[in-house]
Amino acid sequence: MVLHTALVEIEVEKISSDKAKKFIASEKNGAESIFVGRVRNENDGKKVTGVTYDTHDQVVIKSFQSICQNAKNQFDKNAKIFLEHAKGYVPVGEISILIAVGAAHRDEAFKICRYVLEEIKHQSPIWKKEHYIDGKEEWLPGHSLRPKQKVN
Amino acid sequence: MKIQLKLYASSKILSDTDILKVDLPNSSNVGDLRNALSKIISEKNLKQLKDLPAASAFFGEFNEVINDEYKLKDKELISIIPPIGGG
Repeated sequence: MVLHTALVEIEVEKISSDKAKKFIASEKNGAESIFVGRVRNENDGKKVTGVTYDTHDQVVIKSFQSICQNAKNQFDKNAKIFLEHAKGYVPVGEISILIAVGAAHRDEAFKICRYVLEEIKHQSPIWKKEHYIDGKEEWLPGHSLRPKQKVN
Repeated sequence: MKIQLKLYASSKILSDTDILKVDLPNSSNVGDLRNALSKIISEKNLKQLKDLPAASAFFGEFNEVINDEYKLKDKELISIIPPIGGG
């Protein structure tokens, strides 16, 4: 198997970098690139205690598979890609996203990792609500998927 | 007619459940749904959602993006997709 994508309910299961490393391991790899995103304790001057991710599961998984396949087609057809994203409540310090890529060369491994991350932000219906130390919470602004209006 | 709007993220405040039932005149389209949502948001005085109808996309029952001219059907299940921000 060369592609693994999943949404992980963090209150049930953790995202594991060991699992990712095992998945991408291959003697064909000359390079492995791993990106780990974590929930941090501050944003825009506010103390953050955690983040809740809401997801449109079916469309997210479809988009993950399409993004990873496009990345392979564009950069390295033989690359192995592991992608997991959190859903539900994620406390500060926990992993929210993990992208691991095994490829023949470092340039392709770096490029695939970056491409997958940026495309997720522009294609995958995932939303982030921050929880603050004062008990307040806020949905963060994002990228609109509304189709562009035709100009006559 | 009545459509069922599946709510995500910030839009969940519009209902106690994940679905908001929206009354619309027959033959309404997605553009009309946007206007109806703006009215609901204004009536509920949810100022934090005032930009939501214009900024959101909508998915049809097969999870495809539908444009403003798409004609809605009675009891159709539509998803509102507020601006996304994963990663």
